[in-house]
Amino acid sequence: MKFMNYLFDSNKNHSDSKGKRFRIRSMRTVSIAVLLAAAMFLVGCSGSRSEGPSGEADGVDKVIKIGMVGPLTGDYATYGQSVRNGVQTAIDEINADGGVNGYTLQLIAEDSRGESTEAANAIQKLIDQDRVTAIVGAVLSGETATVAPIAQDSGVLMVTPSSTAPGLTDIGDYIFRNVITDDVQAQQMAEYAVSELGFNKLAVIYANNDYGVALKDNFTAKAQELGASIVGTESYLDGDEDFRAQLTKIGDEIEALYIAGYYTEAAKIAQQARRQGIEAIFLGADGFYSEKLVELGGDAVEGAAFTAGFYSGDEVEAVQAFVSSYKQKYSQEPDMFAANAYDTMKIVAQALAKAGNDRAALKDEMAAIKDFPGVTGTTSFDAKGEAVKDVLILKIENGTFVRAS
Amino acid sequence: MLQQVVNGLTLGSSYALIALGYTMVYGVLRLINFAHGEIYMVGAFIGLMTSQTAGLPFAAAMVVAMAGAALVGVVVEKIAYRPLRKAPRLAVLISAIGMSIFLRNLALALMGPQTRAFPIPFEVKRLNLGRLRINSFDVLILLTSVGLMIALHFLVQKTKIGKAMRAAAEDKETASLMGISVNRVIAFTFAIGSALAAAAGVLIGMNFNAVDPSMGMMPGLKGFTAAVLGGVGSIPGAMLGGILLGMAEVMGIALLKSEWRDAIAFGILALVLLVKPSGILGRNLQEKV
Repeated sequence: MKFMNYLFDSNKNHSDSKGKRFRIRSMRTVSIAVLLAAAMFLVGCSGSRSEGPSGEADGVDKVIKIGMVGPLTGDYATYGQSVRNGVQTAIDEINADGGVNGYTLQLIAEDSRGESTEAANAIQKLIDQDRVTAIVGAVLSGETATVAPIAQDSGVLMVTPSSTAPGLTDIGDYIFRNVITDDVQAQQMAEYAVSELGFNKLAVIYANNDYGVALKDNFTAKAQELGASIVGTESYLDGDEDFRAQLTKIGDEIEALYIAGYYTEAAKIAQQARRQGIEAIFLGADGFYSEKLVELGGDAVEGAAFTAGFYSGDEVEAVQAFVSSYKQKYSQEPDMFAANAYDTMKIVAQALAKAGNDRAALKDEMAAIKDFPGVTGTTSFDAKGEAVKDVLILKIENGTFVRAS
Repeated sequence: MLQQVVNGLTLGSSYALIALGYTMVYGVLRLINFAHGEIYMVGAFIGLMTSQTAGLPFAAAMVVAMAGAALVGVVVEKIAYRPLRKAPRLAVLISAIGMSIFLRNLALALMGPQTRAFPIPFEVKRLNLGRLRINSFDVLILLTSVGLMIALHFLVQKTKIGKAMRAAAEDKETASLMGISVNRVIAFTFAIGSALAAAAGVLIGMNFNAVDPSMGMMPGLKGFTAAVLGGVGSIPGAMLGGILLGMAEVMGIALLKSEWRDAIAFGILALVLLVKPSGILGRNLQEKV
């Protein structure tokens, strides 16, 4: 306080009429300056304190820090929160089992609000200030494309449990992906429709965005390669309500309609198609996987089949254990984001156990993961860092999701 | 192709119902009521609540939704527009945008962001006429829209309050000198416009089985477009503009590619306005000095 008074006194040299206003302003300036200085001091401290990976310098808290970046607020908050909760669930289990090589894992989750610039700031903070050993994230494809080069340059392992845009793992050898990509699931669905169900006359209706277009292109290519004909391809925009014109154009002489989009529109498309007399089976991708599809689509979506990376109703013990502990913590069913994030964290922990504190070794151990048994099936990584995983096909029977394959 | 005409007519008549509210309010106030799309959403929610929770039959739910939305429209006018009657027009416009955001967020807070299903309170039948398929909804939407438009025409042309509306639209000051309570006429205009929007909200919410707080945005924009296309301020213009816009969208998909839908619809709008800036049936209104 004395320090401030001293500064104030110097202002008194100015004319009295101006003095009061000037003083208020300078008080604000000074307090901001003081706060900034204090903040920088603290930042400097924490930075130097956790020098070296995992802060072993202290010798007291043997902690390995794991970073997470994703939208925790805003329009895409559900995705980011699911990822964070999935990672946290895995970390809690690992720590309860004694951690990794005697170290406890600690999650530091940063909010990107779904914006790439925010994500870049967050990843800088995680790498420079928190000195995390590995990062699970980012969540949205756009974010991952922005932050992956930063992680690569800093030599920090980064595994996205959810970004499906093509090419992300080409950014470098520290970048991995543990999620089924859009092209793979579209190809799998085409194979199921043509080879397994024996359909030859198919049509596609797709959302005109990255997700929809990637699904449409791959589904079409694979189906045609297998000898089926695509008799109609129509598009729509997210948020559209009326799909009758597209459906009328597609016509009712098809055996299956691939809806490349999310459940809200899929439910409406299914209902309007049925009302127009289209009796085809509806096919889709992981955008279908929501209870809302059945709630909004009702009878129209009965029998619909879609690809997914995770099925919370799976009777496998590991899945049920995960579902029940997740539900207990967050009082909701884990979705695919949570499940992939959970598996990702478990995989990273396994690589950590082998690599110790060597970051270069960590990425090598990560690349060497083979047939890891998780809640999303078994996972291996190819040379590029892409997960090779099982694709599940689920279908709707009596209003509930069941496994079709 | 005939099927696409039916698709275009039903889509267009729902746009027309929304466009009517814009055009009527513009007629008396020279104001684009940007909260109109949200009134449509409120109407859909009231319809959903009354038919689902209160279990009212469809027709009764529709009437309650229209009455409820009319009330909301009148209240919005009273608190957001009436105090600004003498203020510059921009101020009222901002107030309208504010009401739109407020209503949407209020609905978000009260109802949550998720899309709700609108259970159909009657059996949907389908009629096959050769290749043409018409279902109960197409018939319901067309009949209701046409019925409401005829009723509106009668109201505006044949009743005393309709005459007062027309007088106020022509010249507010002279109308008030002639003993017309302009504020009451304006309130009435908002009530009628809002009721029509609510009817559209219930019909569309039910037809597409989805009601959510942001459902008013796109239809609001499309209704506004239809009103401008037909000539804002003109009631037959709004009907025509709605049908034209709906047809243009559907035909854009039917004849070209579905990606072109909005580009074609709005291209037509730009073209019409280029040739006739006041819209198809719009009169060239002289700015009052």
